[in-house]
Amino acid sequence: MGDSNVNLPPGFRFYPTDEELVVHFLHRKVALLPCHPDVIPDLDLYPYDPWDLDGKAMAEGNKWYFYSRRTQSRITENGYWKSLGVDEPIFSSSSDSNIGMKKYYAFYLGEKPEGAKTNWVMQEFSLSDSSSASASSRSSSRRKSRSKIDYSGWVICRVYERNCDNDDDDNGTELSCLDEVFLSLDDLDEISLPH
Amino acid sequence: MPDDMSISVNGQSQVPPGFRFHPTEEELLQYYLKKKVANEKIDLDVIQEVDLNKLEPWDIQEKCKIGSTPQNDWYFFSHKDKKYPTGTRTNRATAAGFWKATGRDKVIYSNSQRIGMRKTLVFYKGRAPHGQKSDWIMHEYRLDDHINDIHSCTIVCNVVMGELTQEEGWVICRIFKKKNHFKSLETISPTASQSVPHTTISHRLCHNDEGALEQLFHYMRSSTCKEENNVINNYDTNFYDKSMQLPSLDSPNSSSGDHPKSINCDQGGLNNWIAVDRLVASHLNGQTINDYNHDYEHQYNTNIVGGGSTNHDYQEESCDLWSFSRVSTNDSLCHVSNGMI
Repeated sequence: MGDSNVNLPPGFRFYPTDEELVVHFLHRKVALLPCHPDVIPDLDLYPYDPWDLDGKAMAEGNKWYFYSRRTQSRITENGYWKSLGVDEPIFSSSSDSNIGMKKYYAFYLGEKPEGAKTNWVMQEFSLSDSSSASASSRSSSRRKSRSKIDYSGWVICRVYERNCDNDDDDNGTELSCLDEVFLSLDDLDEISLPH
Repeated sequence: MPDDMSISVNGQSQVPPGFRFHPTEEELLQYYLKKKVANEKIDLDVIQEVDLNKLEPWDIQEKCKIGSTPQNDWYFFSHKDKKYPTGTRTNRATAAGFWKATGRDKVIYSNSQRIGMRKTLVFYKGRAPHGQKSDWIMHEYRLDDHINDIHSCTIVCNVVMGELTQEEGWVICRIFKKKNHFKSLETISPTASQSVPHTTISHRLCHNDEGALEQLFHYMRSSTCKEENNVINNYDTNFYDKSMQLPSLDSPNSSSGDHPKSINCDQGGLNNWIAVDRLVASHLNGQTINDYNHDYEHQYNTNIVGGGSTNHDYQEESCDLWSFSRVSTNDSLCHVSNGMI
């Protein structure tokens, strides 16, 4: 994908925090500011099935990233995304202000009300109203009404399959339960094992 | 605006937003450590050298920053095996504390070929043996030393391993702070992207796991003569009764008898340790640590918590496990407790 302009040594990966997605990518997109590097492609409302995102969306560590439009119903070729009803506000780490929203969707195979739920999950990042208003007003302060329609409808989607998730995420940065067992054994070791 | 677009690493180059240093174990060993050992230049000097005896973990955190992106882990090169002048033990003491190895070293594979080992260490504040365990964890990676493997063919070893043996001494380390699952799950971590459903599930699993673990350790503690018999009996009602497949340590009825508690406890404690050790060891040998979480839950379902799980695969496996440990502890503790009834 847009990787061509990112030339980093091994070990560097696209692991944006929620905040980075909102501040660096979504906010700049909405405000029509250039994104360097421009790694997240714009898939608009193309009805790709999640497994077809490879090669189209930015892929990293079993996750796919793309820009899209806010929409009430995301119907793909073979199924649809259904909201899980979970909305998480995203806060700025520096100011604690609410900068965006993260919504969760599950992918269902089949026709709309009767599809079969899959393991595919989508997180949809949108700007919170205040921040999208300020972003669009900054870019076009005089064309307020138009900018609202045009720019605040952008979202960033992060799609992944739940099972694969563990493969890349931890890679040692988290102690496994087994390590925890060992740690606890160490404690007991000192306290109560007969020498 | 361009300022916050990119981050300089040691004033040389830049890491764009959204990207972070998140190497695989394979990359750490095969790329970074190999280059270091071979004295090759590494693009973007991202991994610093650290004298482990001189820096505390929180200083390392400062020194090994990569740009200004939020980090959950920090990487550095260090010299392997600095021994105390008097002995063979590795000196990993700092001014404020010391690093202590825990568990067993894990073999790192690349394309099913063994490429190195990982040691896990914990930072304790204070001086051994009275140090206070902290949340700082270190993974120390070393290239495979082959010493044991090629022991029998020294000549080949010298030729093939010549490069490695003369350069041994560098390890690559990653430190991070252990997360507390009961507090907030990752706020600004790169892995914060887990879905809510997933997070809640894993959260719940962990919760269950640790609950079971806690029980297990309470249980073991109580059987190592630290607690009174009636404490054990408290566990009996809600925990022990269900753990039918556990090697029996102390029968629920035994407290009514007037057996000499000390003998029973000593034996039970020791054997129970062996059993747990076996359990853990067989997991280590048999499967990767990542798999462990998964199996673990089922195992405790079948063995401790539920007793009635329908998951055959795991049930079978865990039965084997326990019978293995039962056999290998020579049934001595079963004898003890059976004799008590």
